[in-house]
Amino acid sequence: MDTPLDTLTLSHFLLTGAVLFVLGVIGFVTRRNLIIMFLCTEMMFQGVVVSLAAFSRLHLHVTGQTFVIFVLTIAAAEAALALGLVVLLFRRKRTLDAEAWSQMSG
Amino acid sequence: MDLEWAKLIPWIAALGAVLCGICCMNRRLRKLAAPVCIGSLGLSFLLSVLVAPGVHRFDPQMPADKLAKAHVVKAFEWIHVGGLKADFAYFLDPLTVLMLFVVTGVGTLVAIYAAGYMKGDRGYARFFAGICLFIFTMTTLVMADNLLLLYLGWEGVGLCSYLLIGYYYDKPSAVAAAKKAFIVNRVGDLGFAIGIFWIYFSYNTVSISEVVRIAAAGDVPGTDSAKTWIPFLLMLGAFGKSAQLPLYVWLPDAMEGPTPVSALIHAATMVTAGVYMIARLLPVFVLSPYALPTVATIGGVTALFAATIALCQYDIKRIYAYSTISQLGYMFLGVGALSAVGGVFHLFTHAFFKALLFLTAGSVMHALAGQVDLRKMSGLRHKMPITAILMLIGCLALSGFPFITAGFYSKDLILASALEKGLSEHNPLYTVLAVVGLLTALLTAFYTFRLWFRVFTGPVEYEMGDQHHGDEHGHGHTETGKIRVVHHHEPHEMPWLMNAPLVVLALGAIFAGFFGVGEYHGWVGGSLDGSTAHIAAPGHGDTAPLTLLGMNLHTAMMVISSVIAIVGITAAAYYHWLNRAAAEQFAERFPRLVRLLADKYYVDELYHAVIVKPLRVIGELCYVFDRLVIDGLVSAVTLVPKGLGWAAKCAQTGALQGYGLGMAIGATVVVLLVIIKVL
Amino acid sequence: MFDFTDASLLVPMMVFIPLLGGLALLLPVGFAGRDSSVRHYALLNTLVTFAVSLIVLGLFIFGDGAASRFSSSVTWVAAFGLSFGFGIDAVSLWLVMLTTFLMPMVVLGSFSGITKRVREFYLWLLVLEAAMIGTFVATDIIFFYICFEFTLVPLFFLIGIYGSSQRLKAARVFFFYTFTGSMLTFAGVLYVAWYASQPQELGRWTFDIGELTRAAQQMPYATQAWVLLALLAGFAVKVPLFPVHTWLPLAHTEAPTAGSVVLAGVLLKLGTYGLLRFALPMCPEAVVAFAPYIGVVAVTGILYTALVCWVQKDIKKLIAYSSVSHLGFCVLGMFALNVQGVSGSVMYMINHGLSTGALFLCVGMIYERFHTREMRQMSGLGRVIPVWSFFMVFFCLASVGLPGLNGFVGEFLTLLGAFNAPQVLGWPYAATAGLGLVLGAIYILYMVGKVVFGPVKVPGQESHPVKDLSRREIATLAPLAVACLALGLYPNPVLKSLDEPIARLIEPARLVISATNPNTIAGVNLDNTAQRTGN
Repeated sequence: MDTPLDTLTLSHFLLTGAVLFVLGVIGFVTRRNLIIMFLCTEMMFQGVVVSLAAFSRLHLHVTGQTFVIFVLTIAAAEAALALGLVVLLFRRKRTLDAEAWSQMSG
Repeated sequence: MDLEWAKLIPWIAALGAVLCGICCMNRRLRKLAAPVCIGSLGLSFLLSVLVAPGVHRFDPQMPADKLAKAHVVKAFEWIHVGGLKADFAYFLDPLTVLMLFVVTGVGTLVAIYAAGYMKGDRGYARFFAGICLFIFTMTTLVMADNLLLLYLGWEGVGLCSYLLIGYYYDKPSAVAAAKKAFIVNRVGDLGFAIGIFWIYFSYNTVSISEVVRIAAAGDVPGTDSAKTWIPFLLMLGAFGKSAQLPLYVWLPDAMEGPTPVSALIHAATMVTAGVYMIARLLPVFVLSPYALPTVATIGGVTALFAATIALCQYDIKRIYAYSTISQLGYMFLGVGALSAVGGVFHLFTHAFFKALLFLTAGSVMHALAGQVDLRKMSGLRHKMPITAILMLIGCLALSGFPFITAGFYSKDLILASALEKGLSEHNPLYTVLAVVGLLTALLTAFYTFRLWFRVFTGPVEYEMGDQHHGDEHGHGHTETGKIRVVHHHEPHEMPWLMNAPLVVLALGAIFAGFFGVGEYHGWVGGSLDGSTAHIAAPGHGDTAPLTLLGMNLHTAMMVISSVIAIVGITAAAYYHWLNRAAAEQFAERFPRLVRLLADKYYVDELYHAVIVKPLRVIGELCYVFDRLVIDGLVSAVTLVPKGLGWAAKCAQTGALQGYGLGMAIGATVVVLLVIIKVL
Repeated sequence: MFDFTDASLLVPMMVFIPLLGGLALLLPVGFAGRDSSVRHYALLNTLVTFAVSLIVLGLFIFGDGAASRFSSSVTWVAAFGLSFGFGIDAVSLWLVMLTTFLMPMVVLGSFSGITKRVREFYLWLLVLEAAMIGTFVATDIIFFYICFEFTLVPLFFLIGIYGSSQRLKAARVFFFYTFTGSMLTFAGVLYVAWYASQPQELGRWTFDIGELTRAAQQMPYATQAWVLLALLAGFAVKVPLFPVHTWLPLAHTEAPTAGSVVLAGVLLKLGTYGLLRFALPMCPEAVVAFAPYIGVVAVTGILYTALVCWVQKDIKKLIAYSSVSHLGFCVLGMFALNVQGVSGSVMYMINHGLSTGALFLCVGMIYERFHTREMRQMSGLGRVIPVWSFFMVFFCLASVGLPGLNGFVGEFLTLLGAFNAPQVLGWPYAATAGLGLVLGAIYILYMVGKVVFGPVKVPGQESHPVKDLSRREIATLAPLAVACLALGLYPNPVLKSLDEPIARLIEPARLVISATNPNTIAGVNLDNTAQRTGN
C-alpha cells in the first residue's frame, strides 16, 4: 500500500509548486534574454498550477482543476502572442536583450 | 398747485436729458437739443414756482406721520432692506423751494445763454444732455427726502461735473481736470457715505425729516461719539463738493469745462450743495460742540486763502474760480456761525452774480477766441459795452458795493452774524473769523476790480486766443477752434440771445439782496426759519442788542464793509486802470510772495508728491508683490506634488527585471504580513 | 418623479434645455456644416432658456415662506439618500436670472470673435450654462457639487482652445487652482453628510441641503471651524478672495471674451453663493467667530487689488483685478451677517455680473478691432467709436458704484451692513473698505481717461477707418445697459424678495450673535433681524 505516491502529502506538492515559482522568479529577474524571461514566467505559471491541482485534490473540488485548465489555455494563447511580440522586438533591435527596451524609465 | 406735482420737477429734466441724448444720435436732430433742454428746464422752473405756495413750513415738533404727510412726496420705492427704507421721495420745505428756484432758474438762464455760446460745437447735443442730467441730479439733491437719495444726487452732480469738465475730451488737461474733480469729490463723498452709515446706525433711519426731528428734540440714541463725529464726516462731503480746504484743488482745474458749465455747476449750483447740506442738517451739526466752529474756521480760512491766490492769477476763469472758493468759504462761515440764513442768503445772491460773472467772462472769451489771459486784453469796453456793464454789475455785487448790490447785504449778514456770535458769547474764534472775513472782503474787492479794469479799461489792446482745444490731428471742432474761424477779425458784442439771460442775472445781482433784508431777513430768512435749518436760538433777543462803534452791530458792520469795498475798488482802480505801471512795481517788490501766490501755494504739487505718487508706487509694489510673492507662494505649493513625483520617478528604471523584482518583493512582503497577522 | 402638471418641471428644464441642446450639437446632422446656423441655434437655445427662467420668475410668488419653490427630485442612489433635487428660492432665482440673461449676450457677443471650431465652442458654452444653472437650483448637495465642479470642464476647454497666447497655461492653472480648493470643500461636505448620518442626528444618509443644514448646526464649535475652513478652501478660491486670487487675472486675460464674461459674470458667484448657501447656515458659530478675520482679508483684498488695478497696462487685466476688488465687497457684506449686508452682497453678485460682464464684452469688441488691449496703444476712442465709448463709460460708471446705476445698491448696502454689524465687523471695516470706493474711481477713471478720452490714437491701422459698433454688438450691450439702469433705479422688487430667504440663511448666525452679546441690543438695528421670528 505504501507506494511512494501515497506517502506524498500536500506539502510535497506545494513545495514543488513553490520551488517552480521561485525558480521562475529568479530566472525572470536574473536573465536578460527575452525568450528565457518569457519561459521563466511560464515556469511561475506551472508552479501556481501545481498548487491549484494539489488543492483541488485535497478538497475534492473541481474548481481548482477548472482553473488549471483556464490557466493552461490562457498560457498557450499568451505564448503565441508573447513570442510574436518578442519576434517583433527582435526585428526592431536585432537583439533579445531586455536592457534594450528600457525607455519606460521615469 | 398740489404738492404731488413737485415730483415731476426732476423727472422733466431727466426726460430732457433722454431727449437730448436721442438728439446726439442724429446730425439733423442735434440742433433740437438746445430748445429741448431750455424747454424742460423752463418747465421745471415753472413747476417749482407753481408748487412753491403750497409748501408748508417745517415744524420739528410735529409727529412723524403728520410731518411726512405735509412735506414728503413719494415717487416710487427704491431700497427697502430690513429696517432701511429709502425711496425716491421728495421733501419740500421753504429751503427746498429756495434751492429749486436757484437751480432751475439759473439753470434755465444758463441754458439759454449756452444755446448761443455752444453753437456750432460738435458735441452740442451732448452738452445739453449733460446740462439736463445735471439739473435732474441737482434737483434730486435738493429735494431728497432721505440721505440715500441725497447721496444719489450728490454723486450724480459729481458725475455731470465730470462729464462736462471733460467735455473737450480730446484735450488732455480737460480729461485730467475731470478725473481730478471726480476723485477729489469721491474722497469727500466717502466721508459723507460713512456719515450716512453712522446716522443710520444711531438714528435708525435715513429720512432727513426724521433725523432732523430726532436731532432737534435732542434725544439721539447711541453714544456721544456719534453726536460728535457724524457732523465731521458729513462735513468732509460738504468740503469736497463745495471746494473748501483741503479738498478745494479740483475747482480751479474744473475751469477746463465750457464756460456755461463753470457758471452753472462750478459757481451757482453744484458747489453750493455742501452749504445746502449743512443748512439742511443743521440740527445734527448743532449736537456736536466742535462741528460748527470747525465749519466756520475752515470757511473763513478758505475764504482768505483762495482770495490771496486770486490776487495773482491771470486766467480770468481761474480768478473767478478762486473767488468762488472764497465766497463758498463765506457761506460756510455763515452757516458755521449758526446763521444759516446768512449762508443760504449768500448762496442765493452769489448764484446770480457769480453766474453773471462767469457768463460775461465767457462772452469775453467768445469774442477773443478763447483768450483767458488778463495780460492780453485791455480796453474792451469800447468793443463790448453791454458786456462791460453787465460784468461791472457782477463785480460790484461780488465786491459788496454798498446798498445797490445783492452781495453787499448777504456778505454783511454773514460777517455781522459771526461778529455777533463772537462778541455775545465771548468767543474769540468767531471775532477773529469776522475780521478775517473783512480782510477777505478787501482782497475780493481788489481782485475783482483788478480783473474788470484790466479787461475793460485802458487802451484797446487784445490778442486773439491761440489755444488749441482739441487735438493736433485736426479732428477738433471745439469751442475756440470754431469761433476763431467765425470771428477772426475783432471782438464784438454778443447777440441778444446770449445777453438777455445775462440781463436777468444782472437784475438778480442787484435786486436779489432785497429778498433777504427787512425784519427777520425777509423772504430768505422766513424760508430758512420754516425749514429744517431752523434752530431755536438760545436766549435770542433777551440780551441787549450789541453795539460797535456806538452803532447797532449790523449797521456798524455795513459801514465798515462799505468802506472796505470802496477802498478795495479804489485801490484796484489806481493800480490797474490809472497807473498800471505802479502795480508791476509793487509786485516786483515782493517777488517771492507773488510767485508763491501765482503758483497757488504749491498745493497741487504737494498733493501729488504726498498722496498721488506714493499711492501709485504702492500700487506698483503691490503688483510686483502679487506676481512674485503671492503667485510665487502658489507656485511653491505646486512644488509639493512635483517633488513627490520627482522622488517617485527614481523607482521607474525602465528595466523589466527591476519591475519584476519589485513586484516579487512586494508580493513577498504582503504574504509575510498576512502570515504575521495570522500567527 | 416629475409632476408634469405643475410648474416644478420648469426648473429642471432650465438645466436640460442648454444641456441637451448643447449635446445635440454633437449629432452628425443638420446645420449643413455652416457656422452661422450653429451660432443662431445657440442663441435660440439660450433665449429659450431665458424665456423659461422668465416664466419661473413670473410664477414665483415672493415671500410665501417656503424654503424652496418648485422643488422636484429624482432619486439617484436611494441607499445614500442621493437624488437630483431641483428647487429655487429668491437668492438662486436671481442668480439663475443673471445667468440666463447673460448667456444670450455671451453667445451674441462671440458671433464674430469665434471663427474656428464653432460647434465645439457653443457646445461647451451651453453645457457650461447648464452646469451653472444646475449649481444654483440644486437642492441636493452632491448634485450641487457635481455641477459646481463640472463648470470647470467646459471653461477649461473654452480657455484652452479659444484663448490667447498663454491659454494652455491659463487653463491649467485655472483648473488645478480651483480644483484643489474644491476637493477640500468636498471633504467638508462629505464630513457634514457623515455627521448628519450619525444616530444622534438623523441616523440615515441624506444629502438634502435643508436637512444637512439643520443637522450641521448641531456640530460643536471646533468641528464647525474645520468645516468652515474646508468650505472656504473651495469657495474662497472661486470667489476669489485675496490672497488666493492669482489664477483669475491670468484666466481672464487669456480667456476668449465669452469665457471672461461667463467667468466674471456667473462663475465667481458660485463661490459667494456657496458661502451664503452652506457656510453661513451650516457653521454659524464658526462664521461668527471667523467673520472679523474674513472681513480683514476681504478689506485687504479690496484695497490691495484696487491699487494693483491702477498700475495695469492691459485693459482686460485691469478689469480682471477689479473683479477681485469688487468681490471683496461682496464677501465683506456677507460676513456682516445682517440683512442689509447680505442683501447687498447678493445684489452685488448680480450687479457685478452685469457690469463687469458688460465691460469684458466691451473690451472684447476693442480686441476684435485692434487686436490689442494695451492702454498705451489707444486713446481718444470717444472720437473714433462714440457708441462703443458711450457703453464703455456707462458700464465703468456702473462699476464704480455711481448711485442710480446698479453697482451702487450693492456697494452701499454691503458697507452699510458692515458698519451696522458691531459684533462681527463694525465701522473700521466699513471705513477702510470705503477707501476702495475712492481707489475704484481712480483706476476706472484712469482707464477711461486713457482709452476713451484724450487725443485720438488708434493702434496700427491709421489707414482704414475703424467701424463703430454694429447692430449686433449694440444688441449685445444695450440690454445690459438697460438692466444696469433698471436695477439702479428700481432694485426694490429684487431686494424685497431677498429679505425673507436671507433672513432664513443668516438666522443661525444671528442667534449666535444675540446669544453671545445679549447686551448689544441697544443701538443696534434689531428690527432688521426681527424677521427671524417669522420663521
